[in-house]
Amino acid sequence: MATRGTWDAFSLQITGLATFPEIKPVNADIMIAAFDAAADELCHLSGVAPQGLTGTLTLEVFGWMLSATTGTIGLRAEVEAVTPGDSLNRGTTHSFDSINYATSATVPGTAGFEFQTTITLTNNDSIAAGDDFIIRFGRDADGTGTTDSATADFHLSKIELRDAA
Amino acid sequence: MAVLADQDRFDIWAEVMRYKDFVSASGVTKADLRAAVNALDDFLNTNASATNTAIPQPARANLSTPVKALLLMHIIQKRYLKGV
Repeated sequence: MATRGTWDAFSLQITGLATFPEIKPVNADIMIAAFDAAADELCHLSGVAPQGLTGTLTLEVFGWMLSATTGTIGLRAEVEAVTPGDSLNRGTTHSFDSINYATSATVPGTAGFEFQTTITLTNNDSIAAGDDFIIRFGRDADGTGTTDSATADFHLSKIELRDAA
Repeated sequence: MAVLADQDRFDIWAEVMRYKDFVSASGVTKADLRAAVNALDDFLNTNASATNTAIPQPARANLSTPVKALLLMHIIQKRYLKGV
């Protein structure tokens, strides 16, 4: 597998989204995105699909819980991949593929301990090398497609995009 | 007075989860916490009359419901929230 992109809290786009995570420092100097436990908060990861992109795509999500020591969290991601020349008015319209849900991840027994969870991007809008893409990522706090039972915020540290190369 | 509306209970549940102290000893899930919100609201609703009766006269008759609620809030705060 190969790493095809990484994002930290600073590189998440939240402007314009109706509900979005709070971007803030913890432990004095670590920037995180805090995802609420009660409502789905979303952000965008964007880029140009790199040359050589191939096979199954996954998002590897790194973070920790603010205070929860029991339960699970669920994460979600949906892909919009636009090839130049597509019949899509990007100024007014989105064309996200169906939402991908991660298998609900059990949180560590100690708050603040980092864990990693994976979202397989089965629904990937047929993304191909050179596409201008957006991945709308968030916590499935309302439990639409997962079981999200852990209280309080999930602190997102980093996200990595991998393919099968 | 009836129990709180479902949206009000949701708002309380959502708000308290934003405070680290509130769930710092968390062995509870979101569902557990929501059940606690519901149960406490149910309890206060069931026992509203008894709570009011516990207030001696003339305060019972002359304080408004919001002022009595404020009084109760201060007592609970002093009893259970010192140092939090």
